[in-house]
Amino acid sequence: MDFWLHVVNIILLFAMLGASLNLLLGYAGLVSMSHAAFFGVGAYAAALTAVHLGWPFPLTLLAAIAITTVLAGGVTFPALRVRGEYLILLTLALQMVLYELMLSWVDLTEGRTGISAIPRPVVFGQRIVTPAQFLPLIAVCAAIVFTVAHRVGESPLGRVLKAIRDDERATQAIGKNVVRYKVIVFSVSGALAAVAAALFAHYQAFINPFSFTLERSIFLVALVVLGGTANLLGTLVGAALFVGLPELLRFLQAPQDIVDALRDFVFGALLVAFMRFRPQGLVPERAGARPRRTDRTEADAARAAPTAPAVVPAARTTAAAPALVAESLTKRFGGIYAADGLSLVLPAGQVTALVGPNGAGKTTVFNLLTGFVAPDAGRVLLHGRDITGLAPWRTVGYGLARTFQDVRLFERMTVLDNVMAAIPGQPGERLAPLFFAPWRTARAEREHCARALEELAFVGLANRAGALAGALAYGDQKLVALARLLATGADVLLLDEPASGVDVHWVSRILELIRRVAAAGKTVCIVEHNLEVVTAVADRAYFMETGRIITEGRPEALMADPQLGEIYFGTGAA
Amino acid sequence: MSWGLIFATTKIFHFSHALTLTFAVYAAVLSSGAWGLPLPLALAVAALVGAGVGAATELYLYRPLRRVQATQLNIFLASLGLLIAGQSLVLVVFGPQARAFEGFPVQGITLGPVAFTTIEALWLAVAWVLIAALIGWLWLTRNGLAIRAVANNPELAQCVGVEHERVFLLVFAVGSALAGVAGTLLALRDTASPMMGVHPVLSAFIAVFLGGIGSIPGAAIGGLVLGLAENMGGLVLPGYWQGVIAFVVLFIVLVVRPSGLLGTRRR
Repeated sequence: MDFWLHVVNIILLFAMLGASLNLLLGYAGLVSMSHAAFFGVGAYAAALTAVHLGWPFPLTLLAAIAITTVLAGGVTFPALRVRGEYLILLTLALQMVLYELMLSWVDLTEGRTGISAIPRPVVFGQRIVTPAQFLPLIAVCAAIVFTVAHRVGESPLGRVLKAIRDDERATQAIGKNVVRYKVIVFSVSGALAAVAAALFAHYQAFINPFSFTLERSIFLVALVVLGGTANLLGTLVGAALFVGLPELLRFLQAPQDIVDALRDFVFGALLVAFMRFRPQGLVPERAGARPRRTDRTEADAARAAPTAPAVVPAARTTAAAPALVAESLTKRFGGIYAADGLSLVLPAGQVTALVGPNGAGKTTVFNLLTGFVAPDAGRVLLHGRDITGLAPWRTVGYGLARTFQDVRLFERMTVLDNVMAAIPGQPGERLAPLFFAPWRTARAEREHCARALEELAFVGLANRAGALAGALAYGDQKLVALARLLATGADVLLLDEPASGVDVHWVSRILELIRRVAAAGKTVCIVEHNLEVVTAVADRAYFMETGRIITEGRPEALMADPQLGEIYFGTGAA
Repeated sequence: MSWGLIFATTKIFHFSHALTLTFAVYAAVLSSGAWGLPLPLALAVAALVGAGVGAATELYLYRPLRRVQATQLNIFLASLGLLIAGQSLVLVVFGPQARAFEGFPVQGITLGPVAFTTIEALWLAVAWVLIAALIGWLWLTRNGLAIRAVANNPELAQCVGVEHERVFLLVFAVGSALAGVAGTLLALRDTASPMMGVHPVLSAFIAVFLGGIGSIPGAAIGGLVLGLAENMGGLVLPGYWQGVIAFVVLFIVLVVRPSGLLGTRRR
């Protein structure tokens, strides 16, 4: 009996680790191969404070949480510069270093002998020793860990994490400080892993480095992926299956090493089979999680704003004043000037177009204005404020946002989530309100949902709010991108080829929307190849070639100029 | 280097390269044990088996996975799963004990202050020959050109008539053959065991990332830096640090210069 309770306890410990890793891996898309090392650091922190300092159990737990959180949060900074396979490698290196440290720093960790005689915790005046006594404690802790992980994952904060997973650049472009969110998710993940770690140390009463190997890290990643990423239930099921089932093999009448090999074989084969036939895991991410709430709030939104245009007029500036001024921006890539002393002015409330042949540097101008690329020289003034070289998420905060030529939606999120994620200042994106002001968070969430639906209604896609963004037609994706841009609340909007790649029907819809946005007081700048589009919607146009502005004027006038036609179409075409 | 070739071309995080190596080495060790094959023949067996296993992995694991558009993490995990399963299989079939390669004379050679064994001399010679041959093959032949094209831009290569599936298969075969040879050479000194492939492959991909992905000279230099750091570090630091040095170096390079020592900066 005790054996089975022990198995349950171990499953719960692994489930906690899995849940903490799932936040990183499933929600934020950050593959960490050092989770076992975090687990180990937490366990050592608890064991050492208990053995050497004589701290009682809840204190050792706090010590473990504190140390692991700081460590995991600190890892974020080197991890910021790398993604994908590099992050796998970086965390793998970290795992190996920490593991070797546990082995070699004998003075502290006792090396491979490990730390023994870790005191059992005393709960309600009773010292708990057996698996049966431990079960309630571990179960309660597991419940807490899952609650926290769930709260973080399925919240505005989790939405931003998923956005980072799906497209990091686009997440910056909607005004989110990606660095901050990565620090948060690494820290929370570390803290939750530490809970499992401290319990593990006290439960086993003995730890050594061999519990915290690279194989264990890999096992945890596999467990999360097999269970289902971005779904905590999946992690629990996964832990039960992949930790619990192998225990059954113990009852085979065979030598231990053969049983171990057999278990590994089954595990490996399962891993291959799952990746091949069910890559989304046992319990897949709930993609269209919102239809029910959508319906409800849709009705609310319809009642609240029956006719008014969704775009709120932003009367921040007087009509004629320039909203955005760029002064002699210069950017070189190698020997090529992508922008060469380029100056332009976006008058408030007007639509300005940037035209020119391919490679003229139009998109680079957007990158320079919004902070995705820092200029070598020159200034950018937004409403008179110098925003040169600020991070993209800051420029969005000051009211300047952009779309991308290649749309860049968060494809594995619903349309509604895409738009909601862009709304600034959500209390649920910060940990403190998320946990300590749940009512305020929930109320804000309802408001933001209504707001996002308004934007979707504005672009005519309210009925697709529950659909996965990646499943939409390309033209619809462009409309969602526009709704997402409007949701940032920015009043200077840079649209990179808003009408390219879609058919006539969508072009006219998008043009109509751009006109309405400008009429509502927003300042718009578009990069566009289609000269008909430019003439139809722009008040003014700048003509660019090789990083310079050649001329400016009314679009019709520019179109009529034979010299520009020659540059644009090549010789003879004009 | 063989791992680097595969990774650069196919962008597959081919962890089970370690399994290919193990299979190839076992084939060589067992065949030479059973039929008393001389070393060059045993190496040829290793290369053949390696190529076969590698190509089979590509055909029956990675290709179907690409068909269902698996993410890179999924492919990585599948590769890992294959490695775990395969290693356990070797363990069950051949037992956990290490197997020595018999019949190759080991002698110490002393050149001034430098002492090494015949095995190490052989390693050096074979390694340089293989590196030179690989570079020559990549730069001088039509197949080499196709591989470099696919590594650079698979879609474009497809457009000009290079079939990337075929190139992938070729790369897997060649890379795996190299791994088989390298593994057998290692086994000459260190014996063969079920888990033997993991460490060399870990070192290999550290070398690849150090040197910069897609750069064959980079991988060679990365390997050199890694070897030097490990051994020089051993002189200064206490012995138990030696295992960490590779990873510390990797960590630092990744933080300071993520594109690798010789890699081109990607935006």
